[in-house]
Amino acid sequence: MAEVEETLKRIQGQKGVQGIIIVNSEGIPIKTTLDYPSTVQYAGLIQQLVMMARSTVREIDPQNDLTFLRVRSKKNEIMIAPDKDYFLIVIQNPSD
Amino acid sequence: MFTDEALDSVSIQSQWRKSQQSAQESRGCQTKAVHRAEAEIQTVSTTITGTQTEPRHQATEQLLQQNHNELESPGLKDFLQRVEDRVIRELVRNAKSHAFDGFQVNWEDHSSLVSCLHRLQHPSAVERGLHVTSVSWSCTGAVIACCGSYFTERSYVCTWNLDRRGLNPKQADLVFDTPTAVTALSCHPNQPALIAVGLYSGEVLVWDTSRTQDPILVQSGMSADSHREPVYQVAWVPLQKKGEFGVLSASSGGRVLLWTLDSDQGRLVLIDAYALVRQQVPHSSCTGSSTVGVTSLALSPWDSDTFLVAPTEGHSVTLRAPAVFSFRPRSGPVHSVHCSPFHRNLFVSAGTDGLAHIHSLLQANPLLSLRVSDSYVFQVQWSPTRPLVFAAATGQGEVQIFDLGRRSLRPAAIIEPGGVGQAATCLAFNCQNHNLLAVGKTDGTVGVWQLSGDLMEQKPRESSQLEQIANQAVG
Repeated sequence: MAEVEETLKRIQGQKGVQGIIIVNSEGIPIKTTLDYPSTVQYAGLIQQLVMMARSTVREIDPQNDLTFLRVRSKKNEIMIAPDKDYFLIVIQNPSD
Repeated sequence: MFTDEALDSVSIQSQWRKSQQSAQESRGCQTKAVHRAEAEIQTVSTTITGTQTEPRHQATEQLLQQNHNELESPGLKDFLQRVEDRVIRELVRNAKSHAFDGFQVNWEDHSSLVSCLHRLQHPSAVERGLHVTSVSWSCTGAVIACCGSYFTERSYVCTWNLDRRGLNPKQADLVFDTPTAVTALSCHPNQPALIAVGLYSGEVLVWDTSRTQDPILVQSGMSADSHREPVYQVAWVPLQKKGEFGVLSASSGGRVLLWTLDSDQGRLVLIDAYALVRQQVPHSSCTGSSTVGVTSLALSPWDSDTFLVAPTEGHSVTLRAPAVFSFRPRSGPVHSVHCSPFHRNLFVSAGTDGLAHIHSLLQANPLLSLRVSDSYVFQVQWSPTRPLVFAAATGQGEVQIFDLGRRSLRPAAIIEPGGVGQAATCLAFNCQNHNLLAVGKTDGTVGVWQLSGDLMEQKPRESSQLEQIANQAVG
């Protein structure tokens, strides 16, 4: 448990990080540093996005797979590290 | 010669105590007999119980919790170990990267010009030469309400629904006649049908525009506590109870009153009152009456207890019930104040000196002063979408829009509604359709303008620029 917390703290300490959410394979957020309504919103929307991105990559080349997803917007950047059981979502504002 | 005489004997009582005692009286008394009773009971059966707490085994509890969590998220630790390095590397690289500097995407086709969409007027109001004193958009952004008045004469409140197909600029959808002049107007933030109006006589009314028969929902009536002077501004304030709104009204008598709606009785109930007295407004140069009139009111969207008041003396004062903090005087009365929706501490004010001042709540002197026009400035308002943009309505008839992000101090855009010599008295940004701006003029027309794309869309670093301006405040 302590190691999980340590890791999250290290990531949170990077420059401009606004929030971290860990979502399990069913789309349920299990750890978050944001408030509850935002967390639920991010988790639901991003899971759909990741599924679509992954299927896009695999359709183009079935041997290929999604390793990382970055969504850059006017105000911040959302980075998603997908995995079999979990996703890690980090929201960063790089100009901060 | 001698005769026998018998004399009475004389007796002297004995002084001895004993003999006195025999003459004593004695009395005795006795109470009535006391009634007594005796009874006995005996328990037939008895039980004894006791309780005692047991010490919790802390160590085992925690272990169980931990195991439970791990069971719930198996592999979470391993997952994080796998991704941590990669994620941190990307975060660091992103923070240093200049790849996207100055990169902008055009999602929508915005016009680069400011254009007039509609010019609305009420013919009989124009004939009588009424000025438009206040405009307000409804909460849905589709309906614009305006009130036209000329001092104490009868006036109108008109509403136009801009989304309707058959929009006739010369004919309002709804027109309300009022016996006295309407000097202030404000649409309810949640219910599109309610409008709060303030009258020249000092009354405050709330109209329900969905009722055709008698639109007046509640009214304040005239009483010793209500305003006696023209009400220059009304505003809806969120009350303690969530979802409820009260009406805050400010008059030139210096009183700011807070009302709640009692629609059963059809009255506005006064719940709070603030009075601006001369003592609270320092450095005031005019002598005269002891109260100071209020020309403008601005609610802070961040703090429901705070509101700004612009008295006729030329300062702006924050009232955080009941403490008062006042800002540096300038020449001439302040006509308008508005709190920034993007920064807690900033507000803009403008008055008869033709300058727009940007203040921070933290200090008395303005942070920035911009020359807007050579004549009066009647209203200023921050843009709801861009933190650095505000618009000012001037006495020369133009509306100037300033962008603080630009280097030069000249306006970013000037809207000239035409009609020389007609002052623009009020303006309102539409909070729903962000590109619309309504301007009311003294010739009785309301112009609805569409702003260009660059005046509406937020640029990437605007919030931090605004933050920088606010931080210039000393102390």
